[in-house]
This record gives sequence, structure tokens and C-alpha cells, in this order.
Amino acid sequence: MTVAEAPSQPAKPGRTRTNPLWPTLAMPGIIWLLVFFLAPMYVVLAIVFGQVDPIFRTPVPVWNPLQWDATQFTYVLSRIGPGGAYGPALIRTGVYVLIASVLCLAIAFPVAYYVARLSGRWAGILLAALIAPFWISYMMRMLAWVNLLQDDGWVNRIASLGGLFDVRVHWLTGQPVVVVLGLVYGYVPYMILPLYAGLDRLPQSTLEAARDLGANRVASFWRVTLPMCRPTIVAAVLLTCLPMLGDYFTSDMLSASPKTAMVGNLINDSVQSPGQTGQAGAFVMLVLLATVLPMFYYVRVTARADEVST
Amino acid sequence: MPVPNRPGPNRRQFLQRAALLAVGTPALVAFLDACSKGGQSSSAPSLTIAAPSSPVKWDIPADNTAIADGLGPEKGGTLQLYSYADYMAPEAVKSFEEKYGVSVQISTFNDTDEALTKIRGGNVDYDIFFPSYDQIGRLVTGGLVRPLNHSYVPNIKNVWPFFANPWYDQEWRYSVPYTVYTTGIGWRNDQVPADIGALKNPYEALWDPAYKNKTAVIDDWHTAMAMVLLKLGITDVNTSSADDLNKVGEALSQLVAATSPKVTITMYSDLPAGQIGLSQMWSGDIINAQSYLPEGVDVDILRYWFPADGKGLVDNDLMVSLRGGKNPVLAHLFINHMLDPEVAKQNFSAIGYQPPQVSINPDSLVADGFIPENLKSAIVRPEYFDVGYRILELDPANDTAWHNVWRTFKAGGS
Repeated sequence: MTVAEAPSQPAKPGRTRTNPLWPTLAMPGIIWLLVFFLAPMYVVLAIVFGQVDPIFRTPVPVWNPLQWDATQFTYVLSRIGPGGAYGPALIRTGVYVLIASVLCLAIAFPVAYYVARLSGRWAGILLAALIAPFWISYMMRMLAWVNLLQDDGWVNRIASLGGLFDVRVHWLTGQPVVVVLGLVYGYVPYMILPLYAGLDRLPQSTLEAARDLGANRVASFWRVTLPMCRPTIVAAVLLTCLPMLGDYFTSDMLSASPKTAMVGNLINDSVQSPGQTGQAGAFVMLVLLATVLPMFYYVRVTARADEVST
Repeated sequence: MPVPNRPGPNRRQFLQRAALLAVGTPALVAFLDACSKGGQSSSAPSLTIAAPSSPVKWDIPADNTAIADGLGPEKGGTLQLYSYADYMAPEAVKSFEEKYGVSVQISTFNDTDEALTKIRGGNVDYDIFFPSYDQIGRLVTGGLVRPLNHSYVPNIKNVWPFFANPWYDQEWRYSVPYTVYTTGIGWRNDQVPADIGALKNPYEALWDPAYKNKTAVIDDWHTAMAMVLLKLGITDVNTSSADDLNKVGEALSQLVAATSPKVTITMYSDLPAGQIGLSQMWSGDIINAQSYLPEGVDVDILRYWFPADGKGLVDNDLMVSLRGGKNPVLAHLFINHMLDPEVAKQNFSAIGYQPPQVSINPDSLVADGFIPENLKSAIVRPEYFDVGYRILELDPANDTAWHNVWRTFKAGGS
């Protein structure tokens, strides 16, 4: 990414002028964005600020912003603050995602580092092994855990050391730990791959220069490797963090208890309840707002990295 | 270091593009508005709510009359059923296919509200739908169901007399009954040794911290909240009193604190698997649970409680012929087929949900081997429908109030 832009001499005046070729090439992306992101986003808005069919209680979208009715949105907002019903679920989501992301990073970084820099001729095989979990659907992987974590499942059986101890942990009944670990297990491959890609492309010469100039292994890792892969780390964390924020399936499968309800569960529940679809839309908007901020941070971090490299 | 000349928009370009967007947005609005016209047409009429105290005879509009008498079944088509998963015996379907030389296809839904939304969206040609009786108002008012021609359904004589003229659909103009069930409490006596049914208020067992992490309630807002009302001694399970709903909300937060229940509809497999020891349960699910017990676990561990005097939640599901279906004659014939005593019994054995058939004698079901002795209380008796509590449709404002309490519960509190 940065190497290609490195020889950026004072740009020729003609380069930034409008050349019809580049916008044309960008069209598919722009159309994609319009059709599959902006238009659906507008539909969500029209439903959040729309009406409800009096008989079927299905949402009736209102397309004209001048006729929008903020009742459903303010209903949700008023229940998020202190003492509100939805506040705890949002805080819980934040805490779960934060812990899960940190754990993911703690697991994924050493693995990616090892595969990218130390594994030598095993790199290909290890990489294939890392991609392997993608071949099995997320649902199947969670169902497998349901089997393992049942009261008479393998986890309790192994913990009891063949019946020596009486282990009767009810893993699947609203245990936050299980939900967080489920998230970690489900999303850690998504963290490893981008980290591997980033670490693999670190310029060897820079690291050699660090060693030549007297940095020991720790210092060169701390002062060269880590700063250089900061954009990669941010990207990898975002890549796992954002889908985790909307995840409802893990909590549904591994707990199904209101005690571990995340914002994804709130959205899923309200989409399916007649008359509540607008509230689901309001939650979607809130999650979007909450995720746009880290996106801006990411953009800034990468932009700064580009400046450094030029 | 100053940022080099970036290829971003300058001020003039920005203004031009903003203007373009401003012009474009109303066009988009108009376009989407045009797309949505179809959905809003049925908003005008209001909803009639049927209740035992106010029976409803639904109108048959001139543009939606029943099929003519004496038509032959459609040839070459596929009869489309729209039902819960595992809610119809494959043998019952097969015998119909062989009798009329047609094929039958079953599509499934997770809950009837979701199904109703899909049917209303159009573009589906399901012939028969299996709703709950509290949806018939929306189905008829929305013009989604076809009135029945009674001459094709002589087997109606086999159902409990109440269902030949039910309060929710007088003269059974649009619906015939499919199954009947009660909502009580199921448990396994290896995990829960106490005799829950002998407690003064068995519903309170779900609030007993002794069963923490072993319980579940049904993931259906009305069924679960009605149970909470009954636990509190409030028998109006369709209450519109804000005070009652507040009490329900408080009782639900106490429930989470006391036993942290699962909220699910898969107790028919979770209870036999041992993940749940005590659960709010439909009678059909506890009967069905027998077939999900792991090998070596005796059926005898399953228990079910429903008030012996019938003063609990009683429900029934229906069969209706959808207006969008392409095979109305076959639909009538299939409805008649399912009301046949032998087919109904076969279906009962397969799905655990009892059909309201006169020929099925509640007193002999145990002796006939349909139901084990320990699940005797899961048998549904006709007299329950005289005294039991019925879940009704709620008017929109009340519906919203109920849903808000339920959503608060499901959001999990602190």
C-alpha cells in the first residue's frame, strides 16, 4: 500500500485534473454503495420515522422526510439513558465486544506473527490450517459448542476427570463468559488473516536497519514492528469488532437468556415483533453511529501512516 | 509537513455535487413512494376483535366468495402448505398424495406473526396456512383467506361441537380447528424431585432460586406474560390495565434475578436433552418430548402440570385456505382429509399435538397407549374450553404496551 505511493514526486499538474477514466472505473463501487448501502439506509430511516399499519402492525415506511414522525426513535432513545430498559444491554454489548476483541488480538497477534515471520517453509500449511475454520459455517461451529457445553457434554465430562469430581456447570444458561468466548472463537480467524497479511508485508530491510543500529530483538519489535503494523491492527480489530457489535446468534445459541442479550438480540427481537420494527431501525441507526466513529479513527490512522511513509 | 495537494473535491465541486444531491433526493423519494403504494391500501378499516363474550361472524365480501359446489380437484398442481416445522405427520401427507395423485409441499415458519407478514407481502401461493385462532381477525380483514365451502368438508362433524361454531369464527366460515393444547409447566423429576403440580401455586416454581439456570419460559410474549398474570392471580390474560402490566414487568425482572430462565421455544428437545429441568410448556411439546429423550432415559421422568379444573391457558390452531393459493379445491379436500378420524390420530401420534376429535376419548388415551400415565395431565379435554383462559388479539395501543414490557424483559435489565 505505502510502497506504491512512495515515489510521489511533486505531482504533475495533469494528474489531479479530471481524467474521465478514473471516475468511470470507480463507478461500480459507487453504484454498489448507492444501491446496497445508501438506499437501504434510507429505507431504514423511512421505517424508523414512519408509521405502523393499524391492522397488521407492520411498518409503513414514510418516504417524505417532511412527514417523518420521531416517536419510535425517541422511545428508544428515552430508554437508553440511566434507568432505561435498553441501556444495560448496550453497555453489555460494549463490554462483551471489548473483552472479546482484546482476547482475539491476544490470540491472533502471536499466531499471525509466528506464521508470517518465523514459520519459514511451514507458512503455507499453517495458513491453510488457519483458513480451514472458514470452510465450516458459523452456525455449525456454534452448534458444535452447544453439544460440547451441554450438562452431560464433553466439557463437563473432561472437567470431572472421568467422574472423579461432580462437575455440574450449566454452561448454556446465561453465562456471559460463554458468550464472550463464543464471540472470540467465532471471530478469531477474521482477526488472524488481516494481521498475517500486514505482518507478512513488513519491509525486512527496516527491521534489519533497526538491528544494525543497535536495537535488540525486543526494542526493534517495540519501536519498529509494532508502530508499523498499527494500521493493520486497527483494521483487524475493526474487521472483527464491527460484526461482533451486530451479532445476536452467539448469544441466542449459547445462552438464550435475557441476561446476556446484546444489541443484536434487541434488533432481532424487535424486527420480529409486530409493531416494533421501527425500534429495530432505531437500534440499527445507533449501532451505525457507534461504529462510524472508530471508522473515522481508522481512516485517520491510515492517512497518518501514509504521510509518515512519504 | 503540509499535506500534498490531495485529489479531493474543491469548494466548487463540492457545491455542484451537493446541488446534484439536493435535486436527486426528491426524485428518489417520489420513486420509493410509488413503490410503496401497494402496501398502504388496507390501512383504512379497523380491526374487529373476537372474544368469547363477543363472538364474531366474519363477513364474506362480494369479491371473495367461496368456491362453487362439486368441483373436481385441480390436476397437476402442487398443494402448498405453510406450517411450523414438524407440525404435520409425513404419513398423513403421503396418504393424501396417493388418494388424489398430487404432490404436497410444506414450507415452514418460525412464528405465526412472521408468517402473517410474509403472506401479507404477497408473492406467495400457499394454499393452506396453520395460524393460531387469535390471528383470524387480521387474516379476514386483510382479505388474505378464502371462505370455506362447507360441502367439501363433511368431516367437520368429527370435531368437538364447540369448533363447529366457535366465537372467533361463527359458522366456521373461514377456519376449521387443527390442534388443541394447554400451556402449563413441564419438568423432569430426576432434576426437579418436588411435585410441582402439588404446590399451592405451581407457576411460582419458575421463580424458585433452587432451580436457577435450569428453567425456561416460552418465547412468545403473550403466552409468557399471560402465565405471569396467572401466577400473580390475575385471570384477565388480555388485560389493558397499566397497573397489571407494571406488575408483570416487575415479576419478570424478579424472574431473571431468581432463576435466569432461557427464553426459547425448543423446550421439546432441550428438556429431554437435560439442559432444562423445569419449563413453561405447551402440552403438545411435553408429549413430543418423549421422542427426543436420549437412549436409556426413561419416559417416566417427564411430568406436566395443568390446572385440573381447566383454569389455565387453552389454545387451538386452525387450518385456513389462503386466497393466494392456486388449488382451492385441493385445499378444501386436504382440510377434510386432516379431519378424518384415522388421519387425525395418525397425525397426533407423530406430532404430539391433539386434534379436537370426538372419536379421541380423553379418558382412554392412556389405555390406548397414545400417552404415558405420567403425562396424563397433558391430555386436552373439551370442557377446558368452557373454563380456560383464552389469549385474544389486542387493540394496537394495548398491543404496544404489552410488547414494551416484553421487550424490556428480553433486553435483560442490568
